[in-house]
Amino acid sequence: MSNEKIVEIRKLSKTIGNKQIIKNLNLDLHKGEIIGFLGPNGSGKTTTIRMMVGLMRPTEGDVLINGKSVRHDFEASIEKVGVIVENPEMYKYMSGYKNLVHFARMHKGVTKARIDEVIEQVGMQNRIKEKVGSYSLGMRQRLGLAQALLNDPEFLILDEPTNGLDPSGIREFRMYLRKVASENNVAIFVSSHLLSEIELLCDRIAIIQNGELIDIKNVNEHQKSRYYIEAKPAEQAKQVLEEIGFSVQPHDRGYLIDTEPEHIPGAVKLLITAGIDLYTIQPHRTTLEDQFLEMTGGGEIAQAHTK
Amino acid sequence: MLKLIQNEWMKLWSKKATWVMAGLLIVLLFASAGITKWIGSTSPAPEADWQEMATMDMVMYQDQLQNPDLGAAQTDFYEQQVAITEYRLANDAAPFETESLQQQVLDSHLMLSLVTLFTVIVGAGIVAAEFSQGTIKMLLTRPVKRWKILTSKYVTTMLFALLFAVITIASTAVAGLIFFGIGDGTFLVWNGSEVVEGSYWAEALKLSVLSLASTWMIGTFAFMLGTVFRSSSLAIGVSIFLMFVGVQVVFLLQRFEIVKYYLFTHTDLTQFYTGFMPVPDITMTMSLIVLTVYFLIFMVISYWTFAKRDVTA
Ligand SMILES: Nc1ncnc2c1ncn2[C@@H]1O[C@H](COP(=O)(O)OP(=O)(O)OP(=O)(O)O)[C@@H](O)[C@H]1O
Ligand SMILES: [Mg+2]
Repeated sequence: MSNEKIVEIRKLSKTIGNKQIIKNLNLDLHKGEIIGFLGPNGSGKTTTIRMMVGLMRPTEGDVLINGKSVRHDFEASIEKVGVIVENPEMYKYMSGYKNLVHFARMHKGVTKARIDEVIEQVGMQNRIKEKVGSYSLGMRQRLGLAQALLNDPEFLILDEPTNGLDPSGIREFRMYLRKVASENNVAIFVSSHLLSEIELLCDRIAIIQNGELIDIKNVNEHQKSRYYIEAKPAEQAKQVLEEIGFSVQPHDRGYLIDTEPEHIPGAVKLLITAGIDLYTIQPHRTTLEDQFLEMTGGGEIAQAHTK
Repeated sequence: MLKLIQNEWMKLWSKKATWVMAGLLIVLLFASAGITKWIGSTSPAPEADWQEMATMDMVMYQDQLQNPDLGAAQTDFYEQQVAITEYRLANDAAPFETESLQQQVLDSHLMLSLVTLFTVIVGAGIVAAEFSQGTIKMLLTRPVKRWKILTSKYVTTMLFALLFAVITIASTAVAGLIFFGIGDGTFLVWNGSEVVEGSYWAEALKLSVLSLASTWMIGTFAFMLGTVFRSSSLAIGVSIFLMFVGVQVVFLLQRFEIVKYYLFTHTDLTQFYTGFMPVPDITMTMSLIVLTVYFLIFMVISYWTFAKRDVTA
């Protein structure tokens, strides 16, 4: 990862009718970085991505890819971009190979050798001559990835690329993405509402809700050390813990305390001495999922927000 | 651009429907020739010989020339026919029989409405299908401007029409040769000062090119509807409806000035060479101008909606 910007989203806004779907979105992506774009259903992920690839016209703002405006210099800006918007739709009445030839013709300088190389990369050699109509969903996803890689992109935009894949398909797809990210050194912008999915794949995560960017996080940010304690009688346990200076929050059927591991044995001794029955004590990790739900208020579908 | 057209052409011919249309066209043309032959063989031989027929035609032409409402193009036509018929009778130069390769070729442009029908189907679907399949988003996220993609689709539709027109004429000729063979007779034209022998192939080609103006306009109209409404069935339905009803409306509007600006008054360019003109006082130039204006309107609407549209499919 470097600090060189590959994509700059500038003051991006979209209003349809009297509904502001995207509100003043600003985001920079850097070369070689995998960014997750996370948000509940209806938060505006697809809309943002459609504006990034020129399918929709922003009401305001712009997207610069390699410094070139998608709005005003479309061909140049999108030249080194690979796109999968939701399910990759292919021409079902043609073979996978013909589909790739079709998209290859729309780029400059994609050779036959490159087509074969991409087919091999996604492991489709054996079925590539068959009609796409006969493919399984997973095979179509692979073909979709193959077409996105044809022009040897520096930047991949994927909207819910694992939609409709089974868990092993998702895992496989993630591995493909990792592979192309490291082998081809591409930046990847991937949207999803599958948090666990994003967590495993991305370096950074941008969180969107109701059309607004509410947070950008580094995934491997050091997490605060926390412990979960369940003891009886609960009130008494809380008192003991507070007396020795822990901040205690109720959680589930017990309490959470923020502390480092070395303080745990002492705390346990104190609780025992005070005659408290200890049922559980364990490290508590907030997963990204919890953080996400916390932030977006339970992850319910974004409410309609008419101005 | 060539590559884009190549793409569209590949997609078009990867569909079974396209091959079915081509097959159907050829079958229909052969069937039509076959039926002509069959009717000819079952009905009794005509009582009148060609001279008698020509004399009767002559009376009809003379009669028409008396008509005060006759337009300039019609007067020319009937005067030429009179001259040609006089020449035929004087020089014993028989016209082609209906049951001959030559006459079949001369009439082949009448079959081009089949081409219009198929062109409507292709033109209506070539953009609309991309939307209904969802492939439009794959197409528009390539480094190619939208107007180029639309142009490649339009050009492909027109190439399809052209190819089908060639198939029509070729099939008619082959069917004519198989069913009827080369018949006797001469093809005569008025060259501006006298009656001379002409090439029936050249005449057939001229009439076909003129007929294709109608294919071009209705095809472009279907293309526009498919682009704007993204529904090929709607576009096909409306276009075919207009193709049949539009011409009838000319007769309804006949008395009004507005008929001169109405598309279907002008779509049949062969009218200037066949004498049959519902609105007699129009000219070829006027028709070409009106057609061009309609064409530009259809194109502007197509390009504008296609370029501006937010793709959410
Ligand atoms: N063409 C449209 N007209 C009106 N509203 C629209 C249109 N397209 C999208 N929206 C609204 O914009 C909001 C964002 O939609 P979008 O599809 O971008 O969400 P998303 O984050 O991709 O959701 P999901 O996770 O379900 O895919 C939604 O509230 C949706 O109803
Ligand atoms: Mg979405």
